[in-house]
Amino acid sequence: MRTTPAPMSAPTTGPARTTGSGEVTPAVRAVDACKVYGAGDTAVTALDDVTLDLPAGRFTAIMGPSGSGKSTLMHCLAGLDTLTSGRVLIGDTDLAALSDRERTLLRRDRLGFVFQSFNLLPTLSAEENITLPCDLAGRRPDREWFQTVVDNLALGGRLSHRPSELSGGQQQRVAVGRALISRPDVVFADEPTGALDSKAGAELLRFLRSVVDDLGQTVVMVTHDPGAAAYADSVVFLVDGRVVEELEAPTRDRVLEVMGRLAS
Amino acid sequence: MFRFSLRNLLASKVRLLLTMASVAVGVAFVAGTFVLSDTMAKAFDELYAGLTAGTDVVVRSESAYDADLTTTGGQVRPVDEGLVARVRAVPGVEVAEGSVFGYALVIDSHGQPVQPGGAPTFGTSIAVDRRLSGAATIREGRAPVGLGEIVVDARTVRRAGLALGDHVDVVFEDARRTFRLVGIVGFGETDSILGATMTGFDLPTAQTVLGKTGVVDEIDVRGADGISDSTLRDRIASVLPDGVGAETGEQVAADSTDAVRDAMGVFTTVLLVFAGVSLLVGSFVIWNTFNVLVAQRRREVALLRAVGGTRRQVLTGVLLEAVVVGVISSAAGLGLGVALAAGIRQLLKLIGVDLPTTTPAIETRTVVAAFSVGVVVTCLAAVLPAWSAARIAPMEALRTAAPVNRGSGRIRHAVGWSVLAVGALMLAACSVAGDQRWWTVVATLTTFLGLVFVGPSLARGLAAVVAHARRPGWRMAARNVARSSRRAAATALALTIGLTVVAAVAVTAASLKDSVSAAVSGGNRSDLILEPEGAGMGVSSSVADLLRARTDVDAVVELREWGAQINGDDQLVTAVDTAGLDRVIDLGIASGSLDALRAGSILVSTAQARHLGVSAGESVTVTFPETGPRPFRVAGTFDKGSLINATYVITLSDFEQNVTSRLDQAILLTTPGLDPDRAKERIGAALADYPNVTVNTPQDITRKAQHSVDQLLGIVTALLLLAVVVAVLGVVNTLVLSVMERSRELGVLRAVGATRRQVRQTIRRESVLMSTLGAVTGVALGAAAGVGLARSLSEQGITTVAVPLVTLAAYVVIAIGVGVLAAVAPARRASRVDVLRAVAEE
Repeated sequence: MRTTPAPMSAPTTGPARTTGSGEVTPAVRAVDACKVYGAGDTAVTALDDVTLDLPAGRFTAIMGPSGSGKSTLMHCLAGLDTLTSGRVLIGDTDLAALSDRERTLLRRDRLGFVFQSFNLLPTLSAEENITLPCDLAGRRPDREWFQTVVDNLALGGRLSHRPSELSGGQQQRVAVGRALISRPDVVFADEPTGALDSKAGAELLRFLRSVVDDLGQTVVMVTHDPGAAAYADSVVFLVDGRVVEELEAPTRDRVLEVMGRLAS
Repeated sequence: MFRFSLRNLLASKVRLLLTMASVAVGVAFVAGTFVLSDTMAKAFDELYAGLTAGTDVVVRSESAYDADLTTTGGQVRPVDEGLVARVRAVPGVEVAEGSVFGYALVIDSHGQPVQPGGAPTFGTSIAVDRRLSGAATIREGRAPVGLGEIVVDARTVRRAGLALGDHVDVVFEDARRTFRLVGIVGFGETDSILGATMTGFDLPTAQTVLGKTGVVDEIDVRGADGISDSTLRDRIASVLPDGVGAETGEQVAADSTDAVRDAMGVFTTVLLVFAGVSLLVGSFVIWNTFNVLVAQRRREVALLRAVGGTRRQVLTGVLLEAVVVGVISSAAGLGLGVALAAGIRQLLKLIGVDLPTTTPAIETRTVVAAFSVGVVVTCLAAVLPAWSAARIAPMEALRTAAPVNRGSGRIRHAVGWSVLAVGALMLAACSVAGDQRWWTVVATLTTFLGLVFVGPSLARGLAAVVAHARRPGWRMAARNVARSSRRAAATALALTIGLTVVAAVAVTAASLKDSVSAAVSGGNRSDLILEPEGAGMGVSSSVADLLRARTDVDAVVELREWGAQINGDDQLVTAVDTAGLDRVIDLGIASGSLDALRAGSILVSTAQARHLGVSAGESVTVTFPETGPRPFRVAGTFDKGSLINATYVITLSDFEQNVTSRLDQAILLTTPGLDPDRAKERIGAALADYPNVTVNTPQDITRKAQHSVDQLLGIVTALLLLAVVVAVLGVVNTLVLSVMERSRELGVLRAVGATRRQVRQTIRRESVLMSTLGAVTGVALGAAAGVGLARSLSEQGITTVAVPLVTLAAYVVIAIGVGVLAAVAPARRASRVDVLRAVAEE
């Protein structure tokens, strides 16, 4: 049931940052995605006809003011939530066509998550947290890949520790490790630096960058921090549930500039 | 604060319901026990008050001591009928009549005995002056006159399918006789006296058929108008010979009720033990619930404290919740108790114990006991968690993660293992030494206390073993159990209590069953054993005479028993025919000799002889309730009395001099040269006139005894099941709470790809781990306690110890299965956790 993962079939040879979006197959596509909460007079449109390609092997940031629908968009892209209308495709798989169980298995095998509040299981060690998706699938984790991930995240010495014995930055790196272990098609990160201090936050963003550059993974990150967005290859701006602007090779200043323009 | 507490309570209805259910079941047991015994006492009260309503003074022999009603049937030494005239002559006496009562078993129109379970079958004389009969009235027909006439109670008439004018056969102590039914007796609106069958005759007939010619059991007196009962009693007393006393009717009724209450004492105690067990289990569950509840509300409590709530207010809040829970569930428990009382009566009816009934008696004492037990237990169980809740530092509690168990202290650990070791050693010592009933109980409690201390360690140990499992579901379940090991242990311990008692009972019962067959095969030499059917009072002695006349029967040994005091202790004394005794039974004479057993001598079981400190040749005092103290010389001691359940054996002639009843408890026969089944058939046919007598081969006796052990075991297990149910409610409770507490974790699990099924499995496995812990500790402790108990009941006939491994293993398996069941609802709840809400909201 698992399709050939895009990052593996198209390993990037250099920094993806310089690669034009047209040359890369989209890892995730949203087509006419609509999400409406409630009905009738009280209906609230969270996503208004969003069409979007998120290319594989790249680091994309989704930005927007509070209530712009960026979290909803990510939840729908990640199969945690369902659309009111429209489609979301992970590779060739249409999420809407899947049952709850199939979506769960898709999350397990083909997607990775990093949450703002780490959300590690307190009873499991760092290593066990990382290998959790494999354990759930009843598969032995690929030791070589595991080692690669752990080396990249510089977690070597802390693997047997429980989450409560780790710093925030370390916990979030474990969470990134968990997201990567099954070589997902896409890693979704929801405000991953939100609960970290600026130093740990910057460190984590460099890790995410290297995950894309060195490991060839695809990362989609929701953030409201222009500094964080600057680490991405491109930024998608959302206002009132609509994609209003896309920015390639962002810098902090250009992001701020767009945000200022959109706010006015 | 009050409003806050109430709102908290209502916030989680499931939790509330489960907690209340566990309190209610415990309370129900206490209340049910009281209601049952009070109802029975009330029924007897009403009965005796009704029967003595028209009698002002009763004259009868004084008892040497207040004997247990179940061993003597209240029989006192009959007085000479000449005394009636003397009493009648006392000034102020309007009427004085003698009356007699005794064994009389009605045979129905199909030739079957009308044998109510447990209630007596008696015949009595009908007073000429109807006022003396109190509530007993002739409803139809007329009073009996002469040798051929009988009146019968309305219920028996109905059950036996009789009508006025029919012939009725009745079996007495000495023979079977036929009468014509001339009247039907009712008791006010009731058809029978508490289910007993009653037959009535005129006095001379009653004296003849009941074997009381020339004597009366009591003289009922009615005073002239204007004379008080007590004055009349004193006047009468002054003309009575030594050993005969006068009491007012009211006094007799009260004394009779008291005697019944005493006889029920053991029964009440047993029920209260069950109540105690389920309450103990219940308090574990409540303690746990409040513990989790408080842990879960740490943030809430912290917020309260942060905005200025004092510790005292927090404490009061939790206690207030406890009181509300306690009061409501006590009320529910009280209601349940009334139902339970009826249920237990039905259960006892199944094994043939037909208890009297009237409207349920709910006395103030019952209500007070129910409420104080329920509320006090709930509050005690809530106070510790409340205390710890009040001590939470506000900021500590505001942390979001679920509280992680702090490791238990080193001291607690050391103390726990020491207590456990001491308890286990004591249990082992009790099993080796034997005869240590109370020490066994103490040792069991000590071991359990040790388990309470080391429970969390055991839970962690079990978890550590299981955590090595390759399957991630088991590992996660194990980790969760280890994380909240105290809670897991407390949950498991509730199950431990129930299973300890169940397993101990199972071991004791299995040992008893083995001992029964050992006793029959070991000491028996008879070919056939005759016994009364069902709950019958005995076998007419005429049966033995009939058998002695037969040529195919060799030895015929009658066996009777009666309550008496030996050197001041209440005991049962067995009387046997000395002739042929050693041909039907091997008593296992240890010292002295069987030949030395003759009039004025007694055989004592070896254990009792040691207990009394007497040996062959010395003397003991046997006090019979009817005739008072008599010296007996110890003819010898014996080891194998369990076949006939005997610890003291005297001769039949001594027995007859001191006891009025002529009923045999059993008759042992040898039928040389006859095939056992053929012999059984022939003797059965010969006893066609006595349908209340069962003819048994030794194998039948074993089977019957084992069957009654099984029945008893079934009832006890059924009662204890309630305790297990409470414990299971506790498991459900703990799981539900822990699922609620971990909804976020469960959401993450689902987000990273755990299927609903996997989540359910994890919860189920947690439940299985907890129930395994409870089941294994409970069954192990129970088996050890059972061995200790069985070893201490050698005098009660348990001579071999048997551990029913299959049954015990089955208990463990069942408990684990129950764990799976208990997890169904919590697991479903866990698998339905809203993933988005769990992971998206901060």
